[in-house]
Amino acid sequence: MRPFKFTTVSDISSATKSVAGKPNARFLAGGTNLLDLMKEDVERPEELIDITRLSLIQIKPLTEGANKGGISIGALGKNTNAANHPLIRQNYPLLAQAILAGASGQIRNMATNGGNLLQRTRCPYFYDVAMPCNKREPGEQPGCGAREGINRMHAIFGWSEKCVAVHPSDMAVALAALDAVVKVRSASGPERIIALADFHRLPEDRPEIDTNLRPGELITAIELPKNRFAEKSYYLKVRDRSSYAFALISVAAALELDGNRIVQARIALGGVAHKPWRALKAEQLLVGQEATEVNFKRAAEAEMADAKPLEHNAFKVELGKRSIVRALQVAFTGNRS
Amino acid sequence: MQEKNKVTGTPVSRIDGILKVTGKAAYATDYPVKNIAYAVLFKSTIAAGTIRSIDTGPAEKSPGVLAVITHKNAPKLKTDGGIRGGALLQSPKIEFHGQHIGLVVAETYEQARHAARLVKVEYDKSEAKVDFEKLSKEAVLPEDKEKADAKRGDAKAALQNAEFKVEAVYGTPIEHHHPLEPHSTIAEWQGEKVILYNSSQIVNGAQNAAAATLNIKTENVRIVSPYIGGGFGSKGGQWANLVLTAVAAKVVNRPVKLALTRQQMVNSVGLRQQNHQKVSLAATKDGKLTALAHETTTHCAIENEFVEPCGDCSKIMYEVPNSLITYRVVPMNLILPTYTRGPGKSTGSFALESAVDELAYQLKMDPIELRLKNEPTRDPSNGKPWSSRTTVQCLQEGAKAFGWEKRKAEPRQNQQGNFLMGHGVACGTYPAHQRPSSARVSLNRKGNAITARVELAAADLGTGTHTILAQTAADALGLPLNQITVKLGDSDLPPAAGSVGSVGASSYANAVHDVCVKLTDELIAKSGKQFFVRPTAAQLMVSENVADYQTRVDAKPPANADQYSSHSFNANFAEVRVDIATGMVRVTRFLAVTGAGKILNPKTARSQIIGGNVWGIGMALTEESVVDPRWGNFVTRSFGDYHVPANLDIGAMEAIFIREDDRVSNALGVKGIGEVGIVGVAAAVANAVFNATGKRIRELPITPDKLL
Amino acid sequence: MMEDHNAPDLTEDEKKLFEDLMPEDLDEILDTGVNRRHFLKLMGLAGGGILAWQSAAAEQVFTRSPSGPLPDELSSATIENGVAVSFKVNGTARKLTVDSRMTLLDTLRERLELTGSKKGCDHGQCGACTVIVDGRRVLACLTLAATCEGRSVQTIEGLANGTAGAPDRLHPMQTAFLKHDGFQCGFCTPGQICSAVALLDEAKKGEASYVTESIRSKPGPVQLSNEEIRERMSGNLCRCGAYPNIVAAIQEVHSGKPVEQTWQLIG
Repeated sequence: MRPFKFTTVSDISSATKSVAGKPNARFLAGGTNLLDLMKEDVERPEELIDITRLSLIQIKPLTEGANKGGISIGALGKNTNAANHPLIRQNYPLLAQAILAGASGQIRNMATNGGNLLQRTRCPYFYDVAMPCNKREPGEQPGCGAREGINRMHAIFGWSEKCVAVHPSDMAVALAALDAVVKVRSASGPERIIALADFHRLPEDRPEIDTNLRPGELITAIELPKNRFAEKSYYLKVRDRSSYAFALISVAAALELDGNRIVQARIALGGVAHKPWRALKAEQLLVGQEATEVNFKRAAEAEMADAKPLEHNAFKVELGKRSIVRALQVAFTGNRS
Repeated sequence: MQEKNKVTGTPVSRIDGILKVTGKAAYATDYPVKNIAYAVLFKSTIAAGTIRSIDTGPAEKSPGVLAVITHKNAPKLKTDGGIRGGALLQSPKIEFHGQHIGLVVAETYEQARHAARLVKVEYDKSEAKVDFEKLSKEAVLPEDKEKADAKRGDAKAALQNAEFKVEAVYGTPIEHHHPLEPHSTIAEWQGEKVILYNSSQIVNGAQNAAAATLNIKTENVRIVSPYIGGGFGSKGGQWANLVLTAVAAKVVNRPVKLALTRQQMVNSVGLRQQNHQKVSLAATKDGKLTALAHETTTHCAIENEFVEPCGDCSKIMYEVPNSLITYRVVPMNLILPTYTRGPGKSTGSFALESAVDELAYQLKMDPIELRLKNEPTRDPSNGKPWSSRTTVQCLQEGAKAFGWEKRKAEPRQNQQGNFLMGHGVACGTYPAHQRPSSARVSLNRKGNAITARVELAAADLGTGTHTILAQTAADALGLPLNQITVKLGDSDLPPAAGSVGSVGASSYANAVHDVCVKLTDELIAKSGKQFFVRPTAAQLMVSENVADYQTRVDAKPPANADQYSSHSFNANFAEVRVDIATGMVRVTRFLAVTGAGKILNPKTARSQIIGGNVWGIGMALTEESVVDPRWGNFVTRSFGDYHVPANLDIGAMEAIFIREDDRVSNALGVKGIGEVGIVGVAAAVANAVFNATGKRIRELPITPDKLL
Repeated sequence: MMEDHNAPDLTEDEKKLFEDLMPEDLDEILDTGVNRRHFLKLMGLAGGGILAWQSAAAEQVFTRSPSGPLPDELSSATIENGVAVSFKVNGTARKLTVDSRMTLLDTLRERLELTGSKKGCDHGQCGACTVIVDGRRVLACLTLAATCEGRSVQTIEGLANGTAGAPDRLHPMQTAFLKHDGFQCGFCTPGQICSAVALLDEAKKGEASYVTESIRSKPGPVQLSNEEIRERMSGNLCRCGAYPNIVAAIQEVHSGKPVEQTWQLIG
């Protein structure tokens, strides 16, 4: 870990000011991923701005604005608190489950809601400074270690020749399914609102840029619109170990039903792309259909038809189909076993 | 097992437990040594070649740095002094990715870690041999005579003519020991003598290797290692980090602490090698085995050979007239493989016991029945009588306790909701040996209060050594358990065997028992009296008014032990639940039935067995170290990538022990349980997965993708 | 590091225990006026050997935590980007200046002589460094000491203190781990126990886990199944494989009912 200056700030404006014009300064919130990467010399900040004392921890119902009736989740609240807040468990159980599927109890007690979105990929080539990685060493064109390497854990959608990494967050997958928006502030300019679908980006030619957050911007809150998915949703996480492992594939699935007829469907996938992968094709095929296994399968197959697997992860295509179907079934029946 | 009025055989809680639950047990890096400096290793980023240039300037100038040591300035060390795996900074040659190429010593850990990143290295690369799939064709007969082709009868011919046969290749990946405590050392020089606080399964082995490598007298090295945060073989042999810590401390003339990082563990302290095992079984229609061939292909290091004995179980488990056991090995640019829990037997039993299950299915015979039909009355490999063998009881008692009769013989017949349930069985074995060990016991009397102190350079890596030795001494001396103090893990104590190869309990307990008997004999002789009933040492201390007395013994295994074939045996029963959609497997229930001689403490023994079972479940389902064949680096360098089982992976675990009174193996009849607990486990799980799904997985681990 | 002028001399109990463990060293120890912290430290070191059985006295002695501030022994020259932090550790105020890079784990271990918390991976992937900060279990290896200003840290060394009704005795979770043999090598144990203690609080608050079926139910105290305990303890790896014993220990404390230990000897 390189030497860095440590600064503590106590309000949003001093926080945003303290990083303005400093490309090598980073906010420190939960630190669970940033410190991990600093120890590996992947992240090399010259200054850390401790924002954990900022009061951006509230979870509250929204009584006005575009998401009236929805909920606002403070960016610096801990994942544990978000997953266990009565409003989230009651109205957004999909989000609660997704958060609880991630990491461990200890890490969820440390990790913040905003920080969760800013996690970086766990691609082993990104983590090992002895390996080539375009995401870690932009500009020098070292190549992507995983593209022709060991890529079992990697992307099947939206990857580029420069980068085949996947986004590791579970929480973000549920947020993508639930049409969340992210509110950000900076030292200059007004508050910006970014739809979660646009928050993370695909690697294309610039894999070093994970999100559409601009330099110096601070996430202040995540907002969720009101919805009718609370009764029928499920977050399925498939992994190599029963717990405390990153996803091979995860599925956030939510249905709004009229009898057995699907009024609306929301499906997002984790572990398949550089960003949470919203399964729009599958969703569209489900709308107006009966909630049956046949229809679930048809939707899943349509969605996975566009997958482009790498050398070691072709299994994710079949696993993706099955997982979408299973997640929809559990969402529909409420029965996991 | 419990004799009247004896504490041996009772489920005493471990006597070192209180230190462990309060955080007071001191592991290698926990010693409050004053004025300590911190060392961090840096490693090669190529797998083969030489270092062309190494620029340590920026690191040396970095704040707090006391020294940067590389092959250019390292003191001369003896490279064949017993340190495994090379990497002693004696030459610019690189033989594997992640070989130590130097270390930084600094005032603080933070400074050392940072400075280690500042060293710039240029290499002349040569072609690295790291792709086992390609290189396995070049494998040759090992130099190790134990691995020569072992033939009995003509297995190949018998296979050709067989009515029923199984011929299949079973693959096991590289695995890492990953004890929770990374290998760590504090080195402190006191004149010519160096104290090494270290984590050592073989205390005297570490002492000898360090002394020989440093070119100093053995008595000038003291190893202090009372607590070991797991070892599983990786802390049996000692690796370069031990000696390099001593070197660093000498160079900076201060005590130095060096702990490997978790990432460095993958290429610093050995590994379990990848194996291709071809197993061929031939049988008659009624299930009599007529041939068994077990042909293993594996890899070793460029300079040093180590081949785990995958064919060992196949040598002795079944009565078969035609047998062939072979090994072929190819040197690769990877760190030297080494002993890993149940070396050879754990991986070998996966192949053998999977094949037996395949044969049983083909014969439409219950796999337990098939095994019982081929039970050998003597060791088939050498004709020696068994000292004792419990395979039949393990299978029969296990079947009863597990409810085996409810198992469906055909796969995919047991669906419960979203899951397919399956049940599997597999056997295992591990040799039982006693090794020479010395021990000292000292008695002290204050009034009528007598205390004893037992001392030997044994190791307790969580196996319960402290506790079983206190129990053994209490009974042998006639003292209550709470009057016994046990001191281990220090090379200043009488030399002892290592806690390796399941020899610890038998070697140590017999030595402690012997020394207590000897002490009693000496006190009797000293009294000059004749006793109608043999008094205890405790009674003699009082009756003969002795204040202090101590003696020592150099215990040896029984002279006739090698006339018998001595092994622990087990049978493993697994119940698995496979998610039909996702292929995720859970072991919901597991039973190990073990015959391992005298069980000194059923509580700690059960933990040993269950711990081995958990390792086997990891082997079956989650553990795999992956090498990038282009560069020879491990891409699974962290606990995030290398999945040891987590709590949720482990379901209901049950252990049953078969009573045995085997005084042939050794005087106390203790056979050892550290390794046998893992043997046969992966096969039981894989067989259960077949029973659940109808899919025979021959490549471990059984990750979800393999069951789609 | 050993000088601690505020620490009292050994109590009679401690002398007695010391004498049991290291009779030959006692006079020397008493003559040189060793303090309690040094004594407690020595208890865990090689010199002591292991006294068989756990007497109640031993439990009490081993589990008292040292008190009083430690001298800040590092010169400012060796500390880069120094950050002054004041926080409580096991109820005692600590004040020191740390390198901004120093983790809470390294601070506890290398500066405060609290080596109970272990470094198993240093990357938040094993749980051996789990401590309780402001009532929540967290990972000390991913916490910068600089961020701990004003916080209250509880480590394994401080767990036995302050249990209602039995201030000087082992925490019930420590007792249960002993009884159920919830460890072998013991390296992950401090983290397991800290994690387990905090988990009980989380259950009381009704917090959910990924295996909780009724995620939408209103949070309130929950009785945890073994499956729930397994999932909630999955952030603490135990390479020795003591998981079933760990679950039994936690279930016993959580449910308040004895959990049976099972093994059989047959034949």
